[in-house]
Amino acid sequence: MGNHTESIGIAGAGLLGRLLAWQLLLRGHRVSLFDAGTREGIDSAAWTAAGMVAPLSEAVVSERPIYDMGLFALTQWPLWINQLESERTLWHQQGSLVVSHPQDEAELAQFHRELQYIIGSADGYQWLDRPALQNLEPDLSDRFQRGLLLETEGFLNNRELLNQLLATIERLGGECHFECPVDVEPNTLYNAERRYRFDRVIDCRGVGAKPQQPAVRGVRGEVLHVRTRELALHRPVRLMHPRYQLYIVPKPDHRFVIGATQIESEDRSPMSLQSSLELSSALYTLSPAFAEARIVEQSVNLRPTYLDNNPHIQTSDGLIRVNGLFRHGYLLAPAVVKQVLADVEGAEGTPFAPFLQRPLPEMSSAPEHPFRHSP
Amino acid sequence: MHPDPLTLYGETFDSRFLLGTALYTSPTIMRDALRASRCDIVTLGLRRQNPGDRSGDAFWQYIKDSGCKLLPNTAGCKSVKEAVTLAEMSREMFDTPWVKLEVVGDDYNLQPDPFGLVEAADELTKKGFKVLPYCTDDLIVGQRLVDVGCEVLMPWGSPIGTGQGLLNRYNLRTLRERLPNIPMIIDAGLGAPSQAAEAMEMGFDGILLNTAVAKAHQPPLMAEAFADAIDAGRKAYHAGLMERRQTASPSTPTIGQPFWHQS
Repeated sequence: MGNHTESIGIAGAGLLGRLLAWQLLLRGHRVSLFDAGTREGIDSAAWTAAGMVAPLSEAVVSERPIYDMGLFALTQWPLWINQLESERTLWHQQGSLVVSHPQDEAELAQFHRELQYIIGSADGYQWLDRPALQNLEPDLSDRFQRGLLLETEGFLNNRELLNQLLATIERLGGECHFECPVDVEPNTLYNAERRYRFDRVIDCRGVGAKPQQPAVRGVRGEVLHVRTRELALHRPVRLMHPRYQLYIVPKPDHRFVIGATQIESEDRSPMSLQSSLELSSALYTLSPAFAEARIVEQSVNLRPTYLDNNPHIQTSDGLIRVNGLFRHGYLLAPAVVKQVLADVEGAEGTPFAPFLQRPLPEMSSAPEHPFRHSP
Repeated sequence: MHPDPLTLYGETFDSRFLLGTALYTSPTIMRDALRASRCDIVTLGLRRQNPGDRSGDAFWQYIKDSGCKLLPNTAGCKSVKEAVTLAEMSREMFDTPWVKLEVVGDDYNLQPDPFGLVEAADELTKKGFKVLPYCTDDLIVGQRLVDVGCEVLMPWGSPIGTGQGLLNRYNLRTLRERLPNIPMIIDAGLGAPSQAAEAMEMGFDGILLNTAVAKAHQPPLMAEAFADAIDAGRKAYHAGLMERRQTASPSTPTIGQPFWHQS
């Protein structure tokens, strides 16, 4: 417990809100957590996400600090999971596989090239030939001639984790207000009915913060959940695709999540047929045994994103805004949460502070009128 | 005034480089690449962003803010009807009659469907659009597109995203020579600046690409490399390339060399 404890209001009970509430309670602070959605958190990006902690795979589609924070996550998650003392297995770390359809072999080669470029060394990944692939994942289609094993990557049973975090928050005396949307100003959370005063407030509403934070945009993602007992996977598998990487993550109760599309749109309407075809055919490519799997869920959500696709923490008197974790929620949450905790307690920051506390990227750079040359 | 502007549908542009806005790691990296490319025209696709309810506005506004002319495309459309509908939607949204017309004939390599393309170009031109058709390098297809009113052609170098460069130089040269007054922009398939320079040396009027820049380790640097190559190729075209010859012809006189070293 720190020397100085505060009353802290948190807006947004997604992954960041729950982790922060839990950690702040453990440090002796008084915490109130608010969310526009329900207890289950089914509206949050954290619920829709597949819960991968994949620093190498994500390095390929982002910047180097994302990889560094991801490595931190690989050490922090097991500690946190231990601390939660869950009866169910929440954390798995047996690496992940990257394969490609024979016609997309160039995409796999490009992925490997990017990995080398960003990471520099050959640490943490290796090529596997077909027998080695079959040995690791016997139920994977035998048409894959080779694949990359990313040895250290992990994944979370994320929905159960969100439940457990909430249960723990309530056990520690955190005050929770669900279906209670709030806006944010320094020291205050408020809505039409009431104002709540705190020593400090933390805004982690994701896309929900957009009305107050126009720099945040939503990036649409669509995922499919299927259930089948016909096959098992022991680790996430990524399938290269010319437009985005698709991943299949095994979940409890013979469930598999496949995601995710990435579309520059703030549309929350149901999954498109095209996306559904792409996701389904990717599953079928990985193993024909998926053909008789049952589709049990189709989810759509928006990833909270700034223009540089990187997370930002903005700290001022009585207010911390943290947002923009984009497609990297579970990957970046440990580094981001540790940094916010350091900010709250005035402690020495993490090595990621300079990156996380950069100013937001500028919104616009040119005149309103888009046409430089008129007829 | 720039001495060598690119003229398309009566509008002039300083740059002969057109850049796509897909596949970048982030919008800020895209913007840096656009700046480095010095381009005046950017393409953007809206097929999958549910244009009807404008859900892509946040991203599109950012592209608009680049100051470049917007060239909406119909990427992903497989039928004439789809392409025409999307073109009409994009005209309304972006307040421009310009459209990069794509009608996909093959799902896997996104090869243009020449029959659907001509039909859609005909329909759109009649509706007042300024159509820039993404086509193959086939002369007859090019001729038919011009016949229905296209004032610009955008033949591929090779299929989209392959980086194969100019696969059929004979066809491209034929197209260039037989339709000398139609501005032609090589669209798709270029992977290296040298390939862009080659196309410009052949007399093509501009280059449109996306993947080669967006997928580079450093997209802004690659954008600049392409811009330089396009300028170099254009200058070389104006300067006039020498003819290739079968035998070496020394550029320094051989007088003074012993005769047994001559021949």
